[in-house]
Amino acid sequence: MGLRTYVITRILLTIPTLLLLLSMVFVIMRVLPGDPVALHFEKKADPAQMDAMRRILGLDKPLWEQYVDYLLGLVDVNYFVAHGYPNLGKSMQTFEEVGGQIFSAFPATLELALYSMAIASVIGILLGVASSKAYNSILDHLIRGFGTVSYAIPVFFLGIIFQLIFGVYLGWLPTGLRINPRVDPPATITGLYTIDSLLGGNPYKFLESLKALLLPSLTLGIILSGVFVRLTRSNMLETLRLDFVTAARARGLKEGTVTYGYALRNAFLPVLTMMGLQFALLLGGAILTESTFSWPGLGSYIVQRINFRDYTAIQGAVIVFGLFVTLVSLIVDILYAYVDPRIRL
Amino acid sequence: MVERVDLSIIALVLIGIIVASGTMYYAATTLSNVSTTSDNLITLTDGVTELTGSVADLATITSILAQTVNTSVAEIADLKARLAELEATLAVRETLIVGTTDSVELTLDPAQAYDYFGWNMLQQISGTLVSVKPGSATGSDFVGDLAESWNASADLKTWDFTLRQGITFPGGVAFTATDVKYSFDRAIALILNIPEGAPAGLGYGDIFDTTEVLSTYKVRFHLKISFSPFLGILSARSSAIVDQRYAPIAQINYTAGNPRASTPVAFVGPYTLVRWDRVAGRDNEIKLDANPNYWNLASGYPRLKHIVFRFYRDAATLRLAIEAGDVDMAFRHISPTDVLDLENNLNLRVWWGTGAQIQYLCFQTKRAPFDNSIIRMAVAAALNRTAVSETVFLGLAKPLYSIVPPSMLGHTEAFQTLGDANYALTQSLLAPLGYNTGNKLTFDLWYEDSGHYPSSADQALLYKEALEASGVISVNLLHADWASYKSNRDDEIMDAFIYGWYPDYVDPDDYAFLYWASWLHTNYSNATQVSLYDQARATDNATLRTELYAQIDDMAVEQCSVVPLWVSGAWAVTKPTVYGIYLDITQDMRYWLISK
Repeated sequence: MGLRTYVITRILLTIPTLLLLLSMVFVIMRVLPGDPVALHFEKKADPAQMDAMRRILGLDKPLWEQYVDYLLGLVDVNYFVAHGYPNLGKSMQTFEEVGGQIFSAFPATLELALYSMAIASVIGILLGVASSKAYNSILDHLIRGFGTVSYAIPVFFLGIIFQLIFGVYLGWLPTGLRINPRVDPPATITGLYTIDSLLGGNPYKFLESLKALLLPSLTLGIILSGVFVRLTRSNMLETLRLDFVTAARARGLKEGTVTYGYALRNAFLPVLTMMGLQFALLLGGAILTESTFSWPGLGSYIVQRINFRDYTAIQGAVIVFGLFVTLVSLIVDILYAYVDPRIRL
Repeated sequence: MVERVDLSIIALVLIGIIVASGTMYYAATTLSNVSTTSDNLITLTDGVTELTGSVADLATITSILAQTVNTSVAEIADLKARLAELEATLAVRETLIVGTTDSVELTLDPAQAYDYFGWNMLQQISGTLVSVKPGSATGSDFVGDLAESWNASADLKTWDFTLRQGITFPGGVAFTATDVKYSFDRAIALILNIPEGAPAGLGYGDIFDTTEVLSTYKVRFHLKISFSPFLGILSARSSAIVDQRYAPIAQINYTAGNPRASTPVAFVGPYTLVRWDRVAGRDNEIKLDANPNYWNLASGYPRLKHIVFRFYRDAATLRLAIEAGDVDMAFRHISPTDVLDLENNLNLRVWWGTGAQIQYLCFQTKRAPFDNSIIRMAVAAALNRTAVSETVFLGLAKPLYSIVPPSMLGHTEAFQTLGDANYALTQSLLAPLGYNTGNKLTFDLWYEDSGHYPSSADQALLYKEALEASGVISVNLLHADWASYKSNRDDEIMDAFIYGWYPDYVDPDDYAFLYWASWLHTNYSNATQVSLYDQARATDNATLRTELYAQIDDMAVEQCSVVPLWVSGAWAVTKPTVYGIYLDITQDMRYWLISK
């Protein structure tokens, strides 16, 4: 199977996958106790008012009709062209467009995910390689200890420690939000504050955005790096024992070339898979990190919406997250082919 | 021949004399000219010398001038920098950064908004006819806002208001009685389309009949019932005046990126909304700027030019933000533990105030065991409010023995007659019904577990402990998230459950009905209590109203359909340089009174 056919097949397979996911969520939400109509009324909920709200939310229609309406909305091309995102319906709690809600938070989540993943990858891979090279030494034990501790430490705990040290005691960095509360956010171009600041030619706002990003991405990056340290180390240990590494050394190649050019490239595949999975998860929002740093991303969106029994919002979020996971898996598969030429054969 | 020679000689001499004279004259003239030229040359040389000196002087002067100019330019630049610094300092001094965990729930449309923060924002940007005086202890001290004066008919069914003149909407349109009529007509007309809105919740349809424009600045309300707490309703943000240009009789949904189009209210309040950014259904940033058309500008309000709201996800992060100095003020919600801790921080100031939020215990009266008022009373007597107040809320919530909070008209201590943890009474009441240590009264006690109410699980656990300490009661503690909890309430499946109330307007009228509120689904009703309540509504005699509410409380103690538990406190944390915070019983934060 050629790469193009493979990619097209993978893309087509996402449609039934997402449809199955959506159908399950659609049914499960309606089976759960709790009525989104009743949640609109704190005080009075006489039957006439309840019926009126049920009509407003479209819940007076039969279930199959609600399902068909929802699917038809999803494939509404005109809506997509007008808004730039698919018609995921309106929130049953806030009456806002679900697509608008999700994509308004996406840049914050993406920015945090990118920086965290960069930090996690650099720390994880470098320490993993160093640990494997210094097998059974004190350095190896220290790095393994770091990997275990960073993986086990609760993200909110590390976050609060960082906030206390760098925010409260030293006063170097803001304790939360996407930019210093006293600075206006940059004009929206991409939604990524660091990029928008640079595009807007404002180095001050870039610096402030970066300062605000530092603590949450460092916290998340350190937590995630634990997995990469362990994975890189174990794969490097196996790879370093293989014949081609010995042969490379015998040919007189520099140790750095052997380690990073030969061994790491071969040991990298499982790490790449893990990076893809973690990144896809991060795109769904890092709930605890976002909550700890009041980062206005997608993290707590689903949790909030479940509490409100906001059917449309939950359905929309699940579809979008499903898409993220599929997309990232696809990219990882393509990168696989790039990293390991055998896959292209 | 000699004569000719002599003559020639004479002629030659004459010629010689003439030539010599001429020559001498020429020489003299030339010498004179030379002398003059020499003099001129000297003068010229002197002039040149002087000029050279002048040029040198000029260069010196130019140099001095250049130095002076340079110094002046540097001084001007320095002054500019200092001015910029001063402006920045001034801007910082004129801007209040507020951190909160709140968020506007739905909209800033008075016909729909029905949440604390949404109402608080409406209070800053819009106006009502009357408002409660800041710092009011009872919540019944009304002052004119957009109205100057008012009076009610003897039967309290007709209310006339004289409007303040000279108030203008942005753009210069004058505020008149027509705007008042339009605002209330719209709110009532939208009740059918927006059943979840505050006008529906406050029962506008049952209270308002018609609104009549008497003149440009006079308006009359005709009510369907005699209604003494009418000023309370008018001070609620559901009664905010709208701008007809942005408020058609159709619901306006939130419009991202356009603050003016996102709310139909008339910007006649102390502030105008200049930025409202939401992310994933929650507020991300709100910015208010001082309203240049505010009617009370001459009195120096609003004190600050800009208010910026920053939104934090939880109380712990908000606490860190105020502690780190990221925000100037943290209001709603710093936890009781944190606020008591912050009180010891010399870099911060904690402001304390009165609370109006209450919690109470409801009994399902349609079936056993709580279809018997004696059993309900026995359970009520075993509750330990003090333990909850001191253990869970660290003393920041107060035990409540009346459904009407303290300091408000009609408050009593009626439930004190049953006492707290009064196990002797509990046992004596239950014993005749066959309940004892061997045969305990057993029931389900429910609480909400998704954060809708503060520390619900901790409270419930203490109530259970107190009830079981009586020795004759056994409690099954059950819980559900808010959505399920409300469904359970409506389905009437909970024996006993904890519920809360936050007032729409500060008046016992908005509390007393909780004893029999149909939406609580306790299936309790009492015609006498309802009659007393209606009588209290129909009179503005404070003494009589107090007596009537006291009677309602006394009957409530006998019936125990709903048992008051506690009333909240209120607090805000600021930097020490922030002043002008009033945390009165209205729970309103009036940002226009704050200075720094």
